[in-house]
Amino acid sequence: MKKVLALLLVLMLAVGMLAGCSTPSAETTEAAAETTAAAGGESDGTYRVAYIARAQADSFAAWLANAVMEEAAKYDDITVDVFDGQANDDTENALIENAITNKYDAIIVQPNNGEAQRPYVEKAVAAGIVTITTNARISGIEGASSVDADPYLQAKVNADAAVEQIPQGANVVVLKGPPGNFHADARRESWENEFFAKRPDVKIVGEEIANWNKDEAMNYMETWVQANDKIDAIIAMNDNMAAGALEVIKDNPNFANILSYGVDGTAEAVLLIKDGKMTSTSLQSAYALAEALLSTSHKLLTGEETQIDIDIDCPLITIDNVDEFIEMHKKAGAIQ
Amino acid sequence: MKTTFDKLKKSNLMGTFSIYFVLFALFLISMMANENFATVGNLSNISRQIAVGTILAFGQTILIINGMLDLSSGSVLALAGVLSVDAYLKTGSLLISFIVGIGVAVFCNILNGLMVTKFKTPPFIATLAMMAMARGAALLYTNGQNIYQIGDYIVFGQGSFIGIPNPVWFLIITMAITWYLLNHTTFGRSVYAIGGNEEAANASGINVNKIKMRSYIINGIFVGLAGIIFMSRVNGGLPNGAGGYEFKALTAAVIGGTSFSGGVGTASGTLAGAFIVGFLDNIMVLVGVNSYLQQIVRGAIIALAVIYDIYFKTTRKKLKASKG
Amino acid sequence: MNHEVKLKVLNIEKSFPGVKALDKIEFSVRKGTVHVLCGENGAGKSTLMKIINGIYQPDSGQILIDGVEVKIKNPIQAREHGIAMIFQELNYIPEMTIEESLFVGNWPKDRFGKVDWPEIRRRTLALLKAENLDYKPDMKLKDLTVSDIQMLEILKAISYQSDIIIMDEPTSAITNKEVEVLFKKIFELKARGAAIIYISHKMDEIFRIADDITVFRDGKVIDSKPKEALDIETVIALMVGRKLGNDFPKVEVPIGEPIMKITALNGEKFKDVHFEVKKGEIVGFAGLMGAGRTEVMRAIFGLDPIHSGEIAINGKPVKIKKVKDSIDQKVVMLSEDRRRYGILPVRSVRENISITNLSRFIKKGRLHSKEEIETVKYYCDKMKVKTPTYETNIASLSGGNQQKVLLAKWLITDPEVFIVDEPTRGIDVGAKYEIYKLISDLVIEGKSVIMVSSELPELIGMCDRIYVMAKGEIMGVLTKEDFTQENIMRLATGTKQNH
Repeated sequence: MKKVLALLLVLMLAVGMLAGCSTPSAETTEAAAETTAAAGGESDGTYRVAYIARAQADSFAAWLANAVMEEAAKYDDITVDVFDGQANDDTENALIENAITNKYDAIIVQPNNGEAQRPYVEKAVAAGIVTITTNARISGIEGASSVDADPYLQAKVNADAAVEQIPQGANVVVLKGPPGNFHADARRESWENEFFAKRPDVKIVGEEIANWNKDEAMNYMETWVQANDKIDAIIAMNDNMAAGALEVIKDNPNFANILSYGVDGTAEAVLLIKDGKMTSTSLQSAYALAEALLSTSHKLLTGEETQIDIDIDCPLITIDNVDEFIEMHKKAGAIQ
Repeated sequence: MKTTFDKLKKSNLMGTFSIYFVLFALFLISMMANENFATVGNLSNISRQIAVGTILAFGQTILIINGMLDLSSGSVLALAGVLSVDAYLKTGSLLISFIVGIGVAVFCNILNGLMVTKFKTPPFIATLAMMAMARGAALLYTNGQNIYQIGDYIVFGQGSFIGIPNPVWFLIITMAITWYLLNHTTFGRSVYAIGGNEEAANASGINVNKIKMRSYIINGIFVGLAGIIFMSRVNGGLPNGAGGYEFKALTAAVIGGTSFSGGVGTASGTLAGAFIVGFLDNIMVLVGVNSYLQQIVRGAIIALAVIYDIYFKTTRKKLKASKG
Repeated sequence: MNHEVKLKVLNIEKSFPGVKALDKIEFSVRKGTVHVLCGENGAGKSTLMKIINGIYQPDSGQILIDGVEVKIKNPIQAREHGIAMIFQELNYIPEMTIEESLFVGNWPKDRFGKVDWPEIRRRTLALLKAENLDYKPDMKLKDLTVSDIQMLEILKAISYQSDIIIMDEPTSAITNKEVEVLFKKIFELKARGAAIIYISHKMDEIFRIADDITVFRDGKVIDSKPKEALDIETVIALMVGRKLGNDFPKVEVPIGEPIMKITALNGEKFKDVHFEVKKGEIVGFAGLMGAGRTEVMRAIFGLDPIHSGEIAINGKPVKIKKVKDSIDQKVVMLSEDRRRYGILPVRSVRENISITNLSRFIKKGRLHSKEEIETVKYYCDKMKVKTPTYETNIASLSGGNQQKVLLAKWLITDPEVFIVDEPTRGIDVGAKYEIYKLISDLVIEGKSVIMVSSELPELIGMCDRIYVMAKGEIMGVLTKEDFTQENIMRLATGTKQNH
């Protein structure tokens, strides 16, 4: 036992030291059971905004939540509380109801499943609360606003480039996101209509669901490489999966000229593009979304506008313009 | 009397060797189904791909023989891997990062062991709790973001030594350690005894709690190693990585003949079980089987393995009840 | 009062694999009387009661109630025939309340078919009042004492209007004061005309409460007489009066110095135990159910905690906190429940034998399997273990061979004191003899054996001295000259030895 305790102490110290050296993180709060409701917001000049994220565990959702917090710090008259829907519809719906009961001035909902959250978002609107849906918007709710990036468009900008870039009679592999996921499905649909329909000469030699995960994509790519001497392009529904596939062939001269496409514009992807290893991706900038969300919220809260729907850009990132995006990530600390 | 013994002998052998027979049969079928299956490159891929899950499975094997299990391996692997990667980025030392990875996983498993032995928590509950805590810790530490640009750290999972990929080396080493522990140490015999009948093992002078604790610590070493290899292979510290890997590990162990009723299991059986799953996944992708169908097949294999195991257990139990 | 025969069993036979439990049993109990059944452990009393209660079916024979033959296929039918049984090990659900437990399975329903709880409450209160019991109907069973729960069982019997009530060792778990309460109730039931069958081995109780006494031995009814025609000595003699065979391979061996001395040992189920064991001795421990012998041995072996007292080996006091401590002191124990504490069921014969002495085969970093197999072979040959191979799963061996394997597993540690608890239980005659020979060989080598057993013949045939326990205490010790079954039984039934 003594030896075990000594080991425990040493490890705890080690973990503690490492944790202390980690990059400072934005504060996030968990859903509180009761929060004392401030009477309106105008009386003490601060607007209380509830941001209900679909899941903190999803790295994009986490990025977005962090970005929202940072952006909110720039506004003196807005405080944001972040709540975690834990990728569960019941949980997220309950959080929306709690936010209504706790008389938040504005509620931003990042839905797990748009249709499941729809009735609750409508309740928020009916309660007279400023309501915004984002990533992905829930369309057709009277009185609600939205801020989004369009996944169809995100894929389309890549697909349009691919139509010109991918050689005749090419073999391609496709990596998909989780089944039934709105973003995954919309992007795949976009590729189908904007690329595959226009290029019937292209052959899909492998298509699997890699669940947004890098390691799953790697496993599939390894197997495909075994079975196919010639693969001309990797078409992935997100950057993680594209990076995973690229990881497999990075030292393989047979695939030195392979093309690859992703979505998100993660730090890893822009570095790969800079190195000439990845062809293009489109930016789903959490910063842009956050900026738009906060400015939209502010306008709606101050009464400047009553209803807004915005789409942020999804610029195509290629080797020609990658530097500005590397700067963006550097400023945010994602790239050293 | 004689016929019962004969039947038993046969069934015992069937129970022990049938798993290799299945492996061999699967190999042959796959070889015929697709020309790329039986190539050196493909088989080498499979070995690399199953390495992480199989290393976890060896830890599970020791635990399950003991009458316990670990639901937290995927999450602890992620926590250990992420901290290990970060340690490398902060210190530049592969050695330190390696030690950190192993150490964190061992720490989590010591907690598992304490919950099970000192506080008499059922292993299912204890490791379920750790599963959530470790994942949460990994996400907290990284703020939910992936750690990129890990430089030379990739040597663990992507390097090779005299032609054999490093993950495969680690697989061989952990397999050897597991085999050695189970067959050539008093620890191994004690593990089997406790799994066979904990009260009888105790009444034979075995320190049950000490052996259980040690089992979790060994599991921790394996989980830490798996975490280092995983992150290294994916070239990043992914706090969300390896979700569900504990079930992959359990699957390999169970298919390989490790029984949940305790006291039964081997290192080579688990390896065979892991390869069976690995071959299956691989051939389904090569042939182009529909993704959803693949999931069904995976589930069916587990069901078959368990039914097979219980069938032979019942035969054994029935005999046990009628004698003595 | 009418004392006609209420229940009669004729020619009841019952066998289990390998043993004839009941042999042509004839027995009857009259209304308004208490009929006591007594006999050793395993004499057949409980088996007969389970047949009357519908838990077992007889192989042949008849049961007559009020002169009419009945077939009792299960306890529900038994209840319908007016039979109620109060078990030795009370079966109850701790979270249930009194009223729930009284009416479980027999709920009065209202006109909608739902359970009528108000009616249950009414009836419970009435019953409690009529029997002068001071409980509230919504008290949970877990908050009652054993004696209370027993009372409730009797109450249940009354509520079902049972007129044949069987009580199996009812006073084994209650205090003297509670025994008085119980007896008062029994006299009341008698006065109401119930036929009561009461199983016990406590002589003083038997002679207080019985109207008639029947003695069982080895599955047969030995005698059945009214109480007035019997006395304690006669009953004891009837209980044990079998012919003692001379087929015990015990060899005379010189007895040496004391090797183990137990002083003032106190534990959860025993108190103030003193005894000693000398080198070359076989010391027996006799006693009836609940005497505490196994508990004493488990404590000495390190399986259960000791509250106070001293264990001395070779004159030096030792601390035994866990099993390994005992093994290190060269004291080992063969458990009475080999399925629970003895065998490792999924492992081979070889592994079961070597488990206690692994460091002999696993040294210098590896398993010396040749040595292991040779050692296992040596012991299996010596003990004449019948097994197809050493890799055979131990669960597939017969009981006798399993026991031999377990003996081998302890012999391999080269013990000085070998405690064997019920060493020949559940073992066929041939294997029994072999085990006696092995025990005898042990003491020839100068070791000592403590033999806990419920079989008087084997104790008398093998031991040098016999300690007798009852109710957690040592009642006395007998030397060879005084070895008679009657002497042992007298002490075992609670009469302290006067010296």
